[in-house]
Amino acid sequence: MQGWVTLALLLSLGVECSLGQNGVGELPVPRGLTLNPDLPAQTLSLTWQSDSSLFDLEIFHTELMNVVLNETVAVKTDPVTGLHSWTWHSPLPLECTSHSAHIRARNQQSVSQWSPLQTIPGSDIPEKSESNMFPQDKVVPVGSNMTFCCIVKEKEDFKEIMYGRQEMSATRLSRRTYAITATNQPVSGNTGTNVICCSQRLTLTGAVVFVGYPPGDEGLVCETRDLASAECSWKKGRDTGLRMRRSRTKYTLNGRDCLEANERKRWWCSSKAWEQSWTLVARNPLGTVQLTDSAQLTDRVHLLAPVNVTAVEVKAWSATLQWSWSVAAYKKLEMVCQLQLFAHELNSTRNYSGPGLSSVVLESLWPDVDYTVTLYCGSKHGFWKWGDKSAPYRIHTKMDRPDALDVWMWMDSSNTGRVFWKPLSVRKSHGALVGYEVSQSSAEEDGWTPVSLPPGNFSYPIILNNGSDITVAVAARNPAGLSQPSTVTTPAYRADSQLSMSELLSTNGSFVLSWQPNANASSGYAVEWVPTGCSGLCPVDWKKVPESDSSFTLNSDSLVAGVRYTVSVYALSTGAPTLLQRWQGYSQEMTPSQSVRELLPNQSGSDVLLSWKATAMENQRGFIRGYTIYLANAAHLELIANISDPEVQSYRVKGLSLSSYKFVVKAYTSAGEDAGATVAIKMEMDTADMLFVGILVPLGIMFCCLILISICCYKKREWVKKAFYPEIPGPKVPGDWSSPQGPLDVKPSPHSLVHIVESPEWDFTKEGLFPVPEEEEESENDNIEVDADSDEPALLRYYNQVVGDGSHGNQVSDSSGSSNTSVDSTQTEITYAGIQSPTSSQGACGGGGYRPQMQSVIGPAEPQIEFEADFQDDGLHAGYKPQCSWQLDSPEAENFSGSLGSPTSVTSSQFLIPESSEEKPQPSNTWFHNFLSGKS
Amino acid sequence: MEGAADSGRAAALARLLHRDCTRLLQLYKEREDFLSQHAPGGERLVTLALCPEAPSTAEQVGHVRSALRRCMELLECLIVREVEEMGEELQGEYESLRKTVKDRLGHLLHSTGALLENGEGGCPPSPPKQCTEDEVEGSDSFAAKLWTYRVLLELIHWTDSASQTLHVFHTEKHGQQQLL
Repeated sequence: MQGWVTLALLLSLGVECSLGQNGVGELPVPRGLTLNPDLPAQTLSLTWQSDSSLFDLEIFHTELMNVVLNETVAVKTDPVTGLHSWTWHSPLPLECTSHSAHIRARNQQSVSQWSPLQTIPGSDIPEKSESNMFPQDKVVPVGSNMTFCCIVKEKEDFKEIMYGRQEMSATRLSRRTYAITATNQPVSGNTGTNVICCSQRLTLTGAVVFVGYPPGDEGLVCETRDLASAECSWKKGRDTGLRMRRSRTKYTLNGRDCLEANERKRWWCSSKAWEQSWTLVARNPLGTVQLTDSAQLTDRVHLLAPVNVTAVEVKAWSATLQWSWSVAAYKKLEMVCQLQLFAHELNSTRNYSGPGLSSVVLESLWPDVDYTVTLYCGSKHGFWKWGDKSAPYRIHTKMDRPDALDVWMWMDSSNTGRVFWKPLSVRKSHGALVGYEVSQSSAEEDGWTPVSLPPGNFSYPIILNNGSDITVAVAARNPAGLSQPSTVTTPAYRADSQLSMSELLSTNGSFVLSWQPNANASSGYAVEWVPTGCSGLCPVDWKKVPESDSSFTLNSDSLVAGVRYTVSVYALSTGAPTLLQRWQGYSQEMTPSQSVRELLPNQSGSDVLLSWKATAMENQRGFIRGYTIYLANAAHLELIANISDPEVQSYRVKGLSLSSYKFVVKAYTSAGEDAGATVAIKMEMDTADMLFVGILVPLGIMFCCLILISICCYKKREWVKKAFYPEIPGPKVPGDWSSPQGPLDVKPSPHSLVHIVESPEWDFTKEGLFPVPEEEEESENDNIEVDADSDEPALLRYYNQVVGDGSHGNQVSDSSGSSNTSVDSTQTEITYAGIQSPTSSQGACGGGGYRPQMQSVIGPAEPQIEFEADFQDDGLHAGYKPQCSWQLDSPEAENFSGSLGSPTSVTSSQFLIPESSEEKPQPSNTWFHNFLSGKS
Repeated sequence: MEGAADSGRAAALARLLHRDCTRLLQLYKEREDFLSQHAPGGERLVTLALCPEAPSTAEQVGHVRSALRRCMELLECLIVREVEEMGEELQGEYESLRKTVKDRLGHLLHSTGALLENGEGGCPPSPPKQCTEDEVEGSDSFAAKLWTYRVLLELIHWTDSASQTLHVFHTEKHGQQQLL
């Protein structure tokens, strides 16, 4: 402290010396300057004595002599104290560092000398060595700027200052003091914003600042609940953000502490007595709000809830409700009460008024209904607001007889019908129904015949025995009794076919009906609608219309889309209903649910006639307006016809070529087409065309081919002959064979006979067939004769048989494989005898002679015999036997002279072609051989 | 065996209380986030300077119980101060756990008192202090926050010490009863 005073004195002397040297001290120096700091307010009051009224002021941060204020102020003398006084608000807490001030008098441009420097010490003087931070626990408004200073502990170095989590840029004010300025401060958290100062040695000091808002309360309203005291309430408004007790908002009502609000329980204050005006003051460190309200007590009555609500008398249609009040003063108050009745679809609100109202009679209730009653009241004069609601109270009204039924009779034939009635709603049944009673009477029978039905029935069948009208009465029964009977008389049956019905178009799904008023409709009209074509238990519906009306709108709610309805209007009177008009229509047309039936194609030349039948009415779902016919291609349907007349149910598709076609026929209503029925047809030719194309054309082509082949073979006949029928070398014989020497008398050699004939009795001279004497042979011969269908000539077959037998007997000696094959086959030709086999040829060459096959003249069996003889004689006979001696000695020989035994026979040529062809002999190619050989 | 069971329950309660105190400090640090970055210094609030030497475990239990009793005084003061400042509006996890710690600390004091047959190891009572005036060094909010932090540190320290001492005590008690 002593060092600090010394420093101040030295500074004062320095200033004085400086001024004295300048020589500007004409005005008297202000005297007795004193500094009075207000630390919480951060203000510094300066007082001095002087005769002047204008002064220059300078305030320094003492340690570094930083000028923080240099200002000229006009300060008058306080007449009481005779002192000049001036207050300076420091942005920096005055504790942060020492502040010094001096003053001088000014008169225009002349000034006095500076007064001695006066100093207030800060908390950073050496005597206060601990760390510190200022200001502490300051409450400031949101958005304000604020300077904090940190005084570092003696002998420690400053490190940083944090504002919340934000490191701030610090300014050095003195040896140990550093300052930051937080600008535009945001609202603090629950426990304020921490400002932390830390030294290099991690010594921690800090301060807390509370940033918030002034009170924002509004809307003070005072009312009375007991007609004596007052309760004032208001809205809290914006949260101040100040939750510490010292900075919370404090409330006073008409100068009295509002305990309820100050304890933060509720935003209201109470007062034992009503006052004409009310003033609420809300105050926190950042500001004050004053709210006022004024009203007469009678204008601010807010009644409490009625208590002890009870129903003292409950009937079917009414009930009496009583309640009481917890405040005796209410009994004289003219009040209005509101009752809320809650029931299923029967909610209502009713108002009642009267002085001290405590009971009401609830009229117009419905029987057998569960009601829940809630009651609240208000002051009738100067109505302020409805009072608190009573607790809900439950009332269940008693039952009553049901209302009369709505009855209708629908005839589905001339002598059968059904009486219908509509179920009663809750409002009309007046209690759960236990059943219905149906009674009928006719002119022939006296009295009524009652029938009881359970409650689930809503119709009853009627049969007219002798065609006379029947009157039916229907009544509903519940535990409270029977309803009034509703009667209906059978209307005359009129089939739809007997009437000319018009098509009824719907409007937005509804039917708008109108008819000519009828004088006989003394009881009004009945509009009946039923699905067209329905039989049995049909959903008949109806609506009765007063006689004054001649129109009716049948709403879509009672109609099903896509169903055709027959709508009839009857005139009602005391007798039977009279049919006035009948329509048919759809409330909403839809596309048919099914396609046309029995779609058939019928080809007629190049045309196709498509025919079909319309789908059933229940599937039409709209008036059929026509049909569309499509040709179905691979990917799409090609429209080929649109038949707008629904009566036309066929279509002829003309000019189709031979191909397959698929047709789709769709019926359409105003809503669109159905899915379509598909039929496919393959176009075929006519019979004449088929004959031409199927038979004549292939024949012609084949004929042409044959001609071409013939020409070709003819042109190449030399080559063909060489290839398939080489020239047979001519025989070389001694003697002259050039001239004929008469017919050869060729006789079988005795040697041959010895070999061939097995039975000595067999006479070779006999012509014709000779049956084989063995039994098997006979049976086979019998078969041949019986088998008339066989294509093989009998003689040839017989020949085959003989050859076969011979082969069996000469298997080893048969040198020709082909012969073996031939023997095994039943198709084997018989004439490729040993003479044409290679072995035979070789034998012929080896034998040196040709032997003609002359044995054919003997009979069918002889060639084989000859063959065997030749075969066996191959090694014995040499030389060639010319064929020119071939003669037809017997008529039988002509039958096969063209083939058997001929050297140019087919079988012979067949033998000459390669071995492989022998496997498949060609029995029918004789003509070809002839052709190749040049024979006709 | 009943004494061993009591000491076991007391040791378990001390362990549970230690965890509660640790969590309580964690919650406080979340509220006053500067404490997570700067650990304030200062002298210990609870010391056993007045306590005599404690060679036996039972006497050590008595010493710990004396420290816990002092901790209880500090905690009650802390609660009073915070309720006074903040009211009872705030009812978060910190406030709820703070009450739990107080209740369990009371139970621990009671159970450890029951363990000590003749009140052995007890320390002379510390001079009574006024909560709002004497306990808290400094009247400003920041000083109160630092003081709260130090109280919570003391709670953690002494409940940990109680847990260890009671565990040893329970082990010895259990061993003695086994021998008997």
